[in-house]
Amino acid sequence: MENKARAGAVSATLKSLAANQLTIAVAAVVVLWIFGEIIAPGFLSFGHIMSVLRLSVFLGIVALGQSLVVMAGGEGIDLSVGSVLSLAVVIASSLLMGKNANIPAALAGAIAAGFLIGLANGFGVSYIGIPPLIMTLAMASVVEGLSLIYTGGYPKGNAPELLEALGNGRILAVPNILILWVVVIIGATLLLFRKRWGAILFGVGANSVTAELSGVTVKRFRMFVYAICGAITGFAGFLVLGYTGTPYLNLGGPYLMASIAAVAVGGISLAGGSGSYVGAAIGCILLTTLTSILVALRTTEAVRQIVYGSLLFVIVVAYTRRRRE
Amino acid sequence: MRASRIRSIVQDSSFPSFLMLVLLIIVNAILQPGFFSYQVFRINFMTFTPLILVSLAQATVILVGAVDLSLGAGISLVTVVMASLMGATTASIVLISVLGVGVAILLSLFNGFFVATIGPPPLIMTFATSTIWFGIALLIMPTPGGHIPESYYGLYGKSIGGFLPVPVVVLLLALLLCLLLGRLRAFRHLYAVGGHERAARASGIRVVRTKIFAYLVSGIFVAMAALCVVGNTGTGDARSGQGFTLNSVAAAIIGGIAFSGGKGNYLGAAIGGIILGLLINIIYFAQITSFYQEFMKGAIIIVALLFGAVPRLRREISKR
Repeated sequence: MENKARAGAVSATLKSLAANQLTIAVAAVVVLWIFGEIIAPGFLSFGHIMSVLRLSVFLGIVALGQSLVVMAGGEGIDLSVGSVLSLAVVIASSLLMGKNANIPAALAGAIAAGFLIGLANGFGVSYIGIPPLIMTLAMASVVEGLSLIYTGGYPKGNAPELLEALGNGRILAVPNILILWVVVIIGATLLLFRKRWGAILFGVGANSVTAELSGVTVKRFRMFVYAICGAITGFAGFLVLGYTGTPYLNLGGPYLMASIAAVAVGGISLAGGSGSYVGAAIGCILLTTLTSILVALRTTEAVRQIVYGSLLFVIVVAYTRRRRE
Repeated sequence: MRASRIRSIVQDSSFPSFLMLVLLIIVNAILQPGFFSYQVFRINFMTFTPLILVSLAQATVILVGAVDLSLGAGISLVTVVMASLMGATTASIVLISVLGVGVAILLSLFNGFFVATIGPPPLIMTFATSTIWFGIALLIMPTPGGHIPESYYGLYGKSIGGFLPVPVVVLLLALLLCLLLGRLRAFRHLYAVGGHERAARASGIRVVRTKIFAYLVSGIFVAMAALCVVGNTGTGDARSGQGFTLNSVAAAIIGGIAFSGGKGNYLGAAIGGIILGLLINIIYFAQITSFYQEFMKGAIIIVALLFGAVPRLRREISKR
């Protein structure tokens, strides 16, 4: 009898914990960090944590775009972020050619390319009614092709000093790019929770009919959310170039699955209409830490794919169970 | 009387795709030398058949209101399993082929079980399982290879009686399966559940069982497709199935299967599959350089989806 009561109390505690997916995500990060320290001493050192956080930034920027698209509802998702990032990298580097003076043009080029592709995605989804997943998957193939056509198979140019300083430099041991991310996180949070635009986004995501009735042109709004996601992803590509210095084809490939998993880990409902960017950001740190551990364990690409897939699978299934209860 | 019959044909969900099919056959006939010759027919169907089969597979799960994005990775996994285990003896070939079929059906049932009982969004869930399947395939075979005996893949290029290519025989088997399914009550339940799940449940249809049934049928089509892919490529490759996922969904939608479920038929899906096959054919025979091929593949699907959406958009506009 007593046992039963205790079990009940435990399960109640577990439930209230589970109610806050963010708590779980943070706990998982801590557990992973401790686990990392056990398998690879030095994992918890300040330097390594900073380097994990720095790597999270690139994923974090992509995940911002992905979050917005998911939050806007209508089964919103963008499967073209990987190839858009890749394209932005090769466009930016070819415009930069290693010169600081070319930074504004390259930044504009990367963002514009992403914006236009996102706009096309949004048009197909909103006005033609193509399911987002299919539209953006097909677009991924198109954009991958565009990268090949644009570069002829050999990307040219490289990042100038100033951009490399942004991607690799530090201020008092804190990576510059991490400072940039903090600014982005604060900005995005203000936008989502303090500005009208954020309220509209959640409104559209939660119930597009009521949003339409209260005067929002839902179709146009959603189209622009895809365009914004593209632009943000283009910006991420620009930053990634600052990190790698030289461009490669398909630098964006690994970001696709990770951005979706990060959004799901961060407690953003895949049905739209809720969530926060802080959640996605924690999701990004969790995924990057996981990658870091998998690298430390010298796992192959195959094992990493299985781990990422299983992680997303478990989150999606667990989330559904909870919603049912 | 006759006018009303014509109208009913024109308004059929697969009519626009039928028009597109005729147009594409004309374009292909111009571009591909000897398009109507027996040899070209045989060679074309070596690639068309798996495409048509995955379209049928995808159509089945879309009809019930779900989707399967792991189907391509599932095919890859089957090719890898078969290529790594198959020996040269007839017994081994038969045994491993049966195993391949079993794996394909099992993967599909895995998805079906979770979609039906727990009910996560099938899109995301099967996206996750697709990553897992791909990882397992890569684990078994990091680089393409393995061994498929000539007696297996050679058979795929042969003809029965000198006029019936084996891939077409496979299609006839699929047709038989479709006809058989059409007679089953469980198959009609598929439409009911896909069209309006709650109403279906209220009228006593076992929704969970119906969904699992859809994934089972889908798995059978995927298994057939995987056997064909192995026959066509003669190797195991963790990436060989990659393109099939997008193609299958696109083919189903082009063929008039409503993505929301409950509407469309196998004929449309099969036509959708052939349309995509012909479109991909054009890319090769129009001598487009390899740099443009990836671009064209995506662009063609988007354009085809646009065309597929025209009748629906027209309906929506006229409703207002």
